[in-house]
Amino acid sequence: MTTTQSPSLATGPAEHPIHPEHTPTGQLAFGAFFQGVNSSTIWRLPESGDQVAWESFEALVRTAERGRFAAFFLGEGLRLREHREVPFELDVAGRPDAQTLLAALAGVTERIGLVATQNTTYNDPVDLARRLQTLDLLSGGRAGWNIVTTDNAWTGENFRRGGYLDHEDRYVHAEAFVEVAEQYWRGEQITHDGAHYSVRAQGDLPRSAQGRPVLFQAGASPAGQDFAARTSDVIFSPHGTLEAAVEFRRSIVERTVAAGRDAGSVKILPGAEIILAPTEAEAEEKVRWVRDLQIGPEQAIALLEQYWGRDLSAFDPDGPLPDVAPEVVESGVTRGAGFQFAKAEELTRAWREEAAEKGQSILEFARARSGARRGTFTGSYDQVAERLVEFARLGAIDGLNITPWLIPSGLDDIVDELIPRLQERGVYPTEYAGATLRENLGLPPG
Amino acid sequence: MTDTALHPGAETAAAREAGSNLPVLAVDLVADPSLLSRLAELGRGLEEAGVGAVTISDGGLHPIHVASFLAPLTRTLGLLPRTDAIYVEPFHLATQLMSLDHLSHGRAGWLLTAETDPAAPAAVGREVLGLEATAREAADVLEAARLVWDSWAPDAVVKDTSRGVYVDAARLQYTDVEASTFSLRGPSITPRSPQGLLPVLVADTDRPAVGERVATELADGRVLDVDVSAGAHPDQIAETLEGADARLVRLVGLDLEADPLGTVTALVAALRERELIASAADEGQSLREQLGLAIAEHAPDPERRTDRARRTDLTDQTREESA
Repeated sequence: MTTTQSPSLATGPAEHPIHPEHTPTGQLAFGAFFQGVNSSTIWRLPESGDQVAWESFEALVRTAERGRFAAFFLGEGLRLREHREVPFELDVAGRPDAQTLLAALAGVTERIGLVATQNTTYNDPVDLARRLQTLDLLSGGRAGWNIVTTDNAWTGENFRRGGYLDHEDRYVHAEAFVEVAEQYWRGEQITHDGAHYSVRAQGDLPRSAQGRPVLFQAGASPAGQDFAARTSDVIFSPHGTLEAAVEFRRSIVERTVAAGRDAGSVKILPGAEIILAPTEAEAEEKVRWVRDLQIGPEQAIALLEQYWGRDLSAFDPDGPLPDVAPEVVESGVTRGAGFQFAKAEELTRAWREEAAEKGQSILEFARARSGARRGTFTGSYDQVAERLVEFARLGAIDGLNITPWLIPSGLDDIVDELIPRLQERGVYPTEYAGATLRENLGLPPG
Repeated sequence: MTDTALHPGAETAAAREAGSNLPVLAVDLVADPSLLSRLAELGRGLEEAGVGAVTISDGGLHPIHVASFLAPLTRTLGLLPRTDAIYVEPFHLATQLMSLDHLSHGRAGWLLTAETDPAAPAAVGREVLGLEATAREAADVLEAARLVWDSWAPDAVVKDTSRGVYVDAARLQYTDVEASTFSLRGPSITPRSPQGLLPVLVADTDRPAVGERVATELADGRVLDVDVSAGAHPDQIAETLEGADARLVRLVGLDLEADPLGTVTALVAALRERELIASAADEGQSLREQLGLAIAEHAPDPERRTDRARRTDLTDQTREESA
């Protein structure tokens, strides 16, 4: 390890390029993803702060900016998740509106990007485009939009159009929506007649310092990847292993080139959880401790109830998985993004077999699944740094979008311990490249 | 749910008649992009000048975002975006406003307006509404917004580690709104904000569009507009204020290019000396308190409780209707 080498010497070119048209930059950018609602945010510790208070967001964003994070992300939910027709009580729930909060953070930060998750199905394109451009102007060119395409009548109950969109049309609709937004940002006259509504409007705001907001997208399905390759600047589906990340990069580069764009025009920042300690043994212990706090006995039972579709409260969390068949009643499961499922019979049988084979109780099984659902980087500070250097050297990813498991102090060890090690290894910036989010992600002007 | 709980303006009518409240002085900022570079300085400067609040009118930039931007840069200033109730999603609008209340620590209000420019419905693919329909919808949206704001009890986040429960569904309620042009289920995605119910005011210029019911029955008070584009003269303003039943006095047309802060500082001093406007807010005081509005208590409604699907004390019919 040395601090005198230049970044290019420290990482070198990849020996085996992933794709002939792909040139690794050997550099990583970090984003912080404040999801707001999920089972990974621990609320049971005294140091777990208020999940809605301004002070929590301000503390977290200041830490991220100190660590030269490229972006600060907020999640979105348009209806509280429900479990068996009652709001889900066991996880963190409730959050401020993403853009409203980011507009305030724009006033107390200088360089970090501000990215709002916003839905194309339950927003009006001109209203959303105008709000994003306002955020972009208020922040001096630091706004981003994480495009999501939720569609279901249940979420639609909170909106004028209700459940108007078929699931298979969501990306078609999203692409038309993004086109309207881009016309608005270019200051054009908009004449859009879609399957569901028409838009007549005039873009009337000046361009921001970065041209237009940066577009993020998480779609992992082939349709989602194609959508991202055609329209996005950044994609962040999680990939736990280096092999999976390499494969995903290849897939995105192929689709991006096929869409007529430059191979490097879509950056990949997979969602990730990072659990660190000074030594490997301490890190292993810490992972167990984090999982125990993330998933309690009640949450383990609730996780299974989502897929079994029935009351499983009579089962012992420390016992084997339920030996009863699932009841596939759609209204009886937890609702919201990430909680749709199919083939319950098949899935629950496979899970029962898997848990029996591994000798896992309900609780152990649920905790193992909790970690497996996202990309996770765990280990000693140096181990994780070395692993990330390998990802960067190959150009498998352009960075990580990190979900802290503790609010507001969950980025502290990443900024104080991991980032200096990445900087020493020449794969992480020591200063912001510029004033806009595009510059800090290495993207061309929009 | 009682009427007074959702119409807190009416609740304090008696207190107001006693003459305890003077109107708050506000300056209207038109959120024009040309204002961007001076926005922070202006917000801080107006607060220092002793102004009680700013209203933020639409000048291209989104008024709620501009209000949010100013929130952490100021300490006592009330922040009231003047924003349309009609050609928006009521659920988004309600949660955006209550988010502003969270991040300003209870200094948010809503200067409710109803858009009559045909460009607004064209942008969202809706037909132009007539004045009567506009007024009806403004009332529906305001009532729905209050139900969204009131859908979490102040103590809904319980963090009960022994039961593993973060939020108590028995302390949340559905909005169950069925208005003529929209419906909402709720509850809010944002927990109850510091003020609970944000103060909702109507400016005189907006009264024809929002209609009498919103202006006189539903809103928390009137905003008296004083046009100072031809100059701000304390004597003239004092005359306008005499006997005016307003919660807020809004200076519109102030020349922010010239010497806005000097003008405003002198004006604030003159009006305060004459005891025509309220004293400046203290840090930590909510906008409701500054405006002399009663604290908004949470109004629990057993039939709206979000745990109704598992409750046994409701009739089957109630459960079916609400499902």
